[in-house]
This record gives sequence, structure tokens and C-alpha cells, in this order.
Amino acid sequence: MDPLYVKLALGGIALLASIGLFFGIGLALAAHKFAVEINPKVEAVKEVLAGAQ
Amino acid sequence: MKHDVKAFWMFILIIATLWIGGCEAPNFIKAAQFEEMDRIVLTFAGPVDPAWAEDPGHFTVNEKPDPDILLDIASVRLSPDQSRLTLTLADPINQNQPHQVVAKEIVSEGRDLGTQSVTVSKPYFGYLVSILIGALLIQNFVFSKYLGLCVFFGTSQKKSTAVGMGITFTFVIVFASLMSWFLYQFVLKPYRLDYLQIIVFIGLVSLTVQAVDTVLRKINPALFKAFGVYLVLVIANCIVIAVPLILADNEYNMIESLMLALGAGLGFLLALFLMSSVRERLDFANVPTSYRGLPIAFIVAGLFALSFMGFSGMSIF
Repeated sequence: MDPLYVKLALGGIALLASIGLFFGIGLALAAHKFAVEINPKVEAVKEVLAGAQ
Repeated sequence: MKHDVKAFWMFILIIATLWIGGCEAPNFIKAAQFEEMDRIVLTFAGPVDPAWAEDPGHFTVNEKPDPDILLDIASVRLSPDQSRLTLTLADPINQNQPHQVVAKEIVSEGRDLGTQSVTVSKPYFGYLVSILIGALLIQNFVFSKYLGLCVFFGTSQKKSTAVGMGITFTFVIVFASLMSWFLYQFVLKPYRLDYLQIIVFIGLVSLTVQAVDTVLRKINPALFKAFGVYLVLVIANCIVIAVPLILADNEYNMIESLMLALGAGLGFLLALFLMSSVRERLDFANVPTSYRGLPIAFIVAGLFALSFMGFSGMSIF
């Protein structure tokens, strides 16, 4: 196979992996920093209710 | 008070980014502009050699999209101070199209400066406004390109939701297209990875939406509640992927990209607002049973598209 294609394919994999890693970590940090405290009681009450609207 | 300082630094940062984005490499040809119907005037940073400038063979002119078709140059004239050069072409120039002028082996005061090229286009500010108005009205993405119809019909039932959707959309598309412009120009194109552009652009759009979702939920819960489900719906809109692809195709620079994204977003907002105003009134109209709901909405959209055709061919500046 043409080495150019191999290079392009590996470049693509590297690019997508690095974008995914970079923005994944970024989003995770943002989610941590901007976390909203949710009252656990709300979830617990919802769980007990019938949930048929 | 602390908030104000933060906002101020953000503002400075945005201005700096815009400024860097608009910069170009230094060039001995300082400026180039159209004059009258068939002339291009080049302004040099210093005096050039008259003997070099007299020879029309040193210049080629072509429309930027067709580098193979060279235009005929009728005459070349140098101004007395040797720094302004007027190229007269054999035929009138289509000034709506940017032109590329190549000056080969420039000689200035005995020094050889090599070959340089410059792009001539209409006055820049006017060009930016024409991109904005073009995306907003003349080539409105909804009414003349038929993109984003699912979200368009889904959220145009009430004026308040329509405006909310339009504003969210404008916000997301500006951020997403600037990011994809950056990634395309500085990563995808140099490393010849542009065959991945669609998948990368889609990823950036969903990333922007997720980020806006996360940040807004904390910073402004009221606005977040008002946006509701529409924030996530933006991902399903095809305009948001069309704009980065158009940017990549046309090789726009950063400010031009910003203008196109803003025009696309505001155009969608305008379309949604117009459509929701009509549909609110349609609820009270006596529409035949089989046409109620979506069918009549499609007919109204068609009428809007017809009236937007009135903008076609309009040229500003």
C-alpha cells in the first residue's frame, strides 16, 4: 500500500484521538467546576412515586 | 466589581483574537484596489524600477477561483513617484469576484524582491457587510437553501419558543464555526486531513452544545430553563454543519467566517420569528381540515421562500 495513505490514516486517528482526549478532559473539568448540587431527596422521592404522569 | 474586571479581560481577549485573526503576512505590495471598470491599482511600499514595471509580462491577473484562466493585460502605467502602478485590462473586470495579481521578480532600487502575489477585492468593510446580508437575506439558509427545516417547523409554533431557539442557535453557531474554522485552517488543511472535516465539525458542534449546556445550567438557571430542550435540538440542525463546510470551501479568513456564521444565525432567527408570527395567527384562521397543522405551514414557508426570492440578485456595495 502507498505509504502516503498509511500516513494519512494514522494522522487521522491521531487527530481524532487527541481532539477527543483534549475536549473530553476539558468538558469533564467544566462539568466538575460548574457542578450543580442536586438534592438527593428529589431523586429518592421520584423513585418511590408511580411515575405514570 | 470583580465581575466587571473579568468581563473587561474577556473583552480584551476577544478583540486580540479578532485582531490576530485579521492579520496577514507582510508584503511589498501594500495595497491593491479596483478602479473604474477595467483597472487595478497596486501600491508598493517603496519605489519600483521603471524598466521592470514597463513590461506587462511581469504581471498576471486571474479571478481567484480560476487560477488557470489568465486575463489579458492591455497596458501598465507607473505613477511619477514610482510607487503606484495601474494595470489596465483588455476587458471589464467582474468586481464581485476577488482577483489575484501576481508580480514576478519585483525590482526596487536595484534590489531583487522576488515574486509576490496579492488579492484584490472590493472595499473590505463593504465585503464583510455583504457576506452578512448575503447569509441573512439573499441566501437565507432556510428560505433559499432549504436547510434546517425539521427544527424550523418543530419550534415555530409559538413566538416565545421561536425567539429562544433562534438566539440559542445564533450563539452556538458562532462558537462552533469559529472553532471549526481554526481547526480546519491550522490542523486539517496543513496535514492534509481534510477528508475528516465532516466528522470533526460534527464533533465540535456537539461539543459546543454540551459546553453551553454545562456552563449555562450553573451560571444562569433561569435562561437554561427558558431554552429547555432547544439547546440540544441545535445539534439536529443542518445549518450548523453547512456553515463550517462553506467556510472550508471558500477559504474565508476569521472575520469573514464570523460574519457568515452571524448571518446564518440571525437569518435563522428571522425566519423563525416570521414563521411563528404567521402560525400564531393561522390558529384562528378557517383552514380546511386536511391542511391543518404542518401542510399549511409548508405552504406558508413556500410563500416566504417566494418573497425572499425578491432579494436574489441584489448586490450591496
